[in-house]
Amino acid sequence: MDGYTVGVLTNIGLFSFLALSAYVLLVAGELSFGQQAFFGVGAYTAGVATAMFGWPLAAATAAAMALGGLAALLVGLSTLRLRGLYFAMATLAAAEMARILFELLRWQREVNGERVGPDGAQGFRGIRWVFEHGMEAGGFLALIYGVLSVLVTALLVLERSRLGATLRAVGLDPEQAAAVGIDIHRIKLGVVSAAGAVAALGGALYAHHNTYVEPRNFDIMLGVHALAYALVGGLGTALGPLLGVALDVGVLEGSQVFAGYRMIVFGGVVALLLVVRPRGLLDEQIVNALTRRGWGLR
Amino acid sequence: MGSAVNHVRPWLAATALAALVAPPAHAQRADASLACRATATAHVYDCVLTLSRGGKPLQGAGVVVGVDMPSMPLAHSVAPVTATPGAAPGEYHFRLALEMHGEWAVKLRLSGPVRDQLILHYDFDGTRASPVRR
Repeated sequence: MDGYTVGVLTNIGLFSFLALSAYVLLVAGELSFGQQAFFGVGAYTAGVATAMFGWPLAAATAAAMALGGLAALLVGLSTLRLRGLYFAMATLAAAEMARILFELLRWQREVNGERVGPDGAQGFRGIRWVFEHGMEAGGFLALIYGVLSVLVTALLVLERSRLGATLRAVGLDPEQAAAVGIDIHRIKLGVVSAAGAVAALGGALYAHHNTYVEPRNFDIMLGVHALAYALVGGLGTALGPLLGVALDVGVLEGSQVFAGYRMIVFGGVVALLLVVRPRGLLDEQIVNALTRRGWGLR
Repeated sequence: MGSAVNHVRPWLAATALAALVAPPAHAQRADASLACRATATAHVYDCVLTLSRGGKPLQGAGVVVGVDMPSMPLAHSVAPVTATPGAAPGEYHFRLALEMHGEWAVKLRLSGPVRDQLILHYDFDGTRASPVRR
């Protein structure tokens, strides 16, 4: 595999975590413009753990997921009483607060004669775990897709379960779900926290792929794209967001046909799809039809 | 499907092993500076990279150059290019074809005497690239 293909596949894989994070919230009926904040929390946490304190990548990633989930839970506790657009705006505000916090974060220590750690707007350099452990780009790509496969499989299993059905009921008609005794607030808090952990997982891998992160990496554009990928790919199955990412980063960007105009093309695709297929390409109807024919997308 | 799994399995096994047991091999750090000027083709730049280590020119390094936009990470997939050694010690040449003007993070993946990844932030305009100061 050449370097370009590895790069495109790596970008698709890493973006998929963020898109899946937005997807689980959409399934639960919530629109978040702020998942990039938890991606950032994961990136900084895992970077601090490996680069400053020499943790193994697996432990650093687990810590990143825990902190990402906790941060999302705290945001959820203060915003989930809001509905629809108000919740979306609150998540955007929280994400911008997080980005500004990253800009204020200065915490460095000396490691092997070099100052390492977050340095405000200058970013956080020296997240070299991958290089120091002799991992090649292809090996890291395999790691990304290995972790992504586990996550997608877990989501597909969840969607077939009673909890998955409950989640969709909450997302489609919360009043009716509450009427049959489902604790909407508790379910949504759990979803918000899990979505934060998923985004943080992607962020941890991103930081180690890039070796460097900075606050601007986690601005609104990243969150908007993640949301768009979930909406374009479809809300009928966890494979939907992956399709959305693959369409934009893989087909539109990877083919280089539209060059610098690709963002405009993708924006048009999103607008068109929101009109003709508001729940995306792989929506519940398509997935149910394919499942009946034995495709088993859910 | 089975062959695909078999193809990926060694990678996964090697990766998992590296994640669990491999001791860190602390890289000796390299320094880099970059000079780029625009070519006649829009968004295409000819660049000269100067690498050093411990104040001495770093020769014989393999250099693969990639770029990413800091404000839109993961969204641009510019094909990485391999730099070729120049006439002067520590100098490497490469041509970058970007998608647009603006600030780009130039990623230098080094192999050979130094194994590392360096990130340089440069603002590419219609004539040249200037280092970004914040």
